Amino acid sequence: MTPVFEARNISKSFGPVRALSGVTVTIGAGEVHAIIGENGAGKSTLMNILCGKLKPTGGELLRHGQPVVFHSPVDSQAARIGIAPQEISLVPKLSVAENIVLGAHSGRGGLVAWRATRDRATRFLHEIDDTIDPAAKVEALSKAQQQLVQIARAVATEAEILIFDEPTATLTNRETDKLYRFIRRFRAGGGSIFYISHRLDEILDLSDRISVLQDGRSIGQLDPAATSKGEMINMMAGREVKGTHAPRPFVERSEIALQVRGLTRHGEFQDIDFALHKGEILGIAGLVGAGRTELGKCLFGVTVADAGTLEVFGQQVRIDHPADAIARGFVYLPEERKAEGIFPLLSIDENMSLPSYGRFGSALNIGFGDMVREVADYVKRIRIKIGVGADPITSLSGGNQQKVILARWLMRGMKVLILDEPTRGIDVNAKLEIQTVLRGLCDEGLSIIYISSELGEVLEVSDRILVMHEGRIKGVQRADQATQESLLQQAMS
Amino acid sequence: MADPMTLAARPALRASPFTRFRRWEASGALLALLALCALLAVASPYFFTAANLPIVLRNASFVGLVALGQTLVLLIGGIDLSVGAAAGLSAIVGALMLTKFGIHPYAVIPLTMGFGLLLGFANALFVAKLRLNPFIVTLASGEIFAGLNLVITQGYPVRPLGPQFKVFGQSDLFGLPFPVIAFFASAAILWWVLTRTRFGRNIYAVGGNRDAAALVGIRVWRVEFIVFGLAGMFAALAGILYASRMDAAQPSVGEGWMLSAITAAIIGGTSLRGGEGTIVGTVFGALLLTVLQNGTVLLNVSGYWQRVIIGAVVLVAVLVDLVRRR
Repeated sequence: MTPVFEARNISKSFGPVRALSGVTVTIGAGEVHAIIGENGAGKSTLMNILCGKLKPTGGELLRHGQPVVFHSPVDSQAARIGIAPQEISLVPKLSVAENIVLGAHSGRGGLVAWRATRDRATRFLHEIDDTIDPAAKVEALSKAQQQLVQIARAVATEAEILIFDEPTATLTNRETDKLYRFIRRFRAGGGSIFYISHRLDEILDLSDRISVLQDGRSIGQLDPAATSKGEMINMMAGREVKGTHAPRPFVERSEIALQVRGLTRHGEFQDIDFALHKGEILGIAGLVGAGRTELGKCLFGVTVADAGTLEVFGQQVRIDHPADAIARGFVYLPEERKAEGIFPLLSIDENMSLPSYGRFGSALNIGFGDMVREVADYVKRIRIKIGVGADPITSLSGGNQQKVILARWLMRGMKVLILDEPTRGIDVNAKLEIQTVLRGLCDEGLSIIYISSELGEVLEVSDRILVMHEGRIKGVQRADQATQESLLQQAMS
Repeated sequence: MADPMTLAARPALRASPFTRFRRWEASGALLALLALCALLAVASPYFFTAANLPIVLRNASFVGLVALGQTLVLLIGGIDLSVGAAAGLSAIVGALMLTKFGIHPYAVIPLTMGFGLLLGFANALFVAKLRLNPFIVTLASGEIFAGLNLVITQGYPVRPLGPQFKVFGQSDLFGLPFPVIAFFASAAILWWVLTRTRFGRNIYAVGGNRDAAALVGIRVWRVEFIVFGLAGMFAALAGILYASRMDAAQPSVGEGWMLSAITAAIIGGTSLRGGEGTIVGTVFGALLLTVLQNGTVLLNVSGYWQRVIIGAVVLVAVLVDLVRRR
């Protein structure tokens, strides 16, 4: 039997980074094919290639055995492939109905036939959930309802093959049941579904076949009837850890740099209790949506907690703004380097020294000479590759930009450093260098909170690891005793 | 010793002088100004005369003062459409202080500037604290200021302001008209603040990346508050000096200044998206606008053509800016 769709030997590189190498997946009529893997394994990249959002650097796509090339999502839609992406991408100010048929209104000659459009949208919507009002504005819906609308939009393209990327991430049980019923009906009618999810139970429940991706490679298939959650986790995590750092030997530390008690921000995280010791790297692991970034931002005063207390070196503090945090020696490196880290119009010199201006010259005259000299020192010390300090920061690679931002706080001086995905989009070499710098700083007495979605990385750099799940702390593991399996187990339970 | 110019992602230290000039935001305005002056010097015997130049400079200084404040607002990524009306209302209030309340002429100018500062703070309350769009807020507040002006004056000018007061607008100091000195002194102070002080660099940081600015510990709303306040203050200074020059506060003071001020800043290389622009560029922009007006008069070009020419100059300035960025 020829599969209805096949992606053969697909490779994809982003610059020097290889996201996929030689992945082959196929799907037959009336089949649900689950794709699993850790964060960054290449699942979403693969799905974006299947739906024409990205072009593969190698390999080919076959529809009913015939090669096809998708230049854009329009082409994949014409081939009857629809996607419900992970991120919600609806137009908030428009109605549910209009969102569902967006770009495909009924009518002729550029005029919209409103009644026909609404009827058609309502039909597709009710296939998923008949309690949502098609006339409501999308912004008035809950996150879960928006997710369902997004799924209805994929269905409305009258696709034969649907791609669901983490469809249940924001759904409650009731809505998940509705989705399951739809999926079973769709499959019974001969439709095919690629299904990506971190929820292994639902994959065992729904799928006919499971493919496991790891570091952009397809490393095997599992039969849902014969496999177990444990086997899936082992296979997802079973890679050799690539880093060259030996794990840090565990040391009992007694001096507490930061004590967090009962920290809560409704809808983001609840009852967070932990202690960060002086000189320690505390990793925070968890899946997407576990509340790690939200916690980091709240500790830094970007958002204000609803309840809970913070003690810095035994002294209770109140932090309402990043300026308060910085004054206490608290520093945060944001996940979104481009949006929240760098000042794209300013020079490397200024990007590094902005928070330290108070130290140079007087209030009426910044001492630029001393400042530039000190910047040059840090450039040498942590080996940042730059031309001259007066060049714009945007002339640097991601890894070097990150080093400039790290140096920004070395220059300012700090006691507690919160890092959020500090090595995302950075090549392996720069990653190791940054981690080496961090370890050196800890040995000098700095305390670090290291947030990362890559379990291997957390294991590699941390002393202890806090595991979060849906806004709560599930447990703390010593890095020298933990494994990727044990972390995943805790994060998914 | 590093020159502060090199610190703002402007010319790199090793770049040639030519490249540095090309990358400088104000270069287009300076070249255009020089070209226009050269043209007028050849075309009109009256342009480069001791009688004409002070007139040009004085005319430039009213809009120029307003444009300085506007430049600050544009730098943080905002816009202030109320500056013209704020200048008019402040001029009236200042004139009434003098005539109705008998406040000493020397105290009137700082008091009027303080009043302008308050008008700016009122804008900032909505923009910085309530996070409303500055375009909408200042469009509305501009209407309110202009309306209050008419409510107070009923459309009649406040005059005369008296011989002690009109010296500010009419007499010279060190051979330059007083408003010109006020303009250049304000520009020099702001240039220093923007290039050499922490507050000035924070303005560029906020305009270049608001979120990142908060994350390095800048209290963004405080910067916005002060900047909108200063925009109101400079508008008030321009308004009261203009009233002094006329020896009367006309209800129409400040009409058309808002657009001219934005135009001057844009010609000078200030970006509407924030984070980019210089005080020097705005000074050149204000001078260029005034020289254009002066030139059309000297060359007997119809006043109607003036607006066509100014519009064309703005478009050319934006095109030059586009080329500069390449």
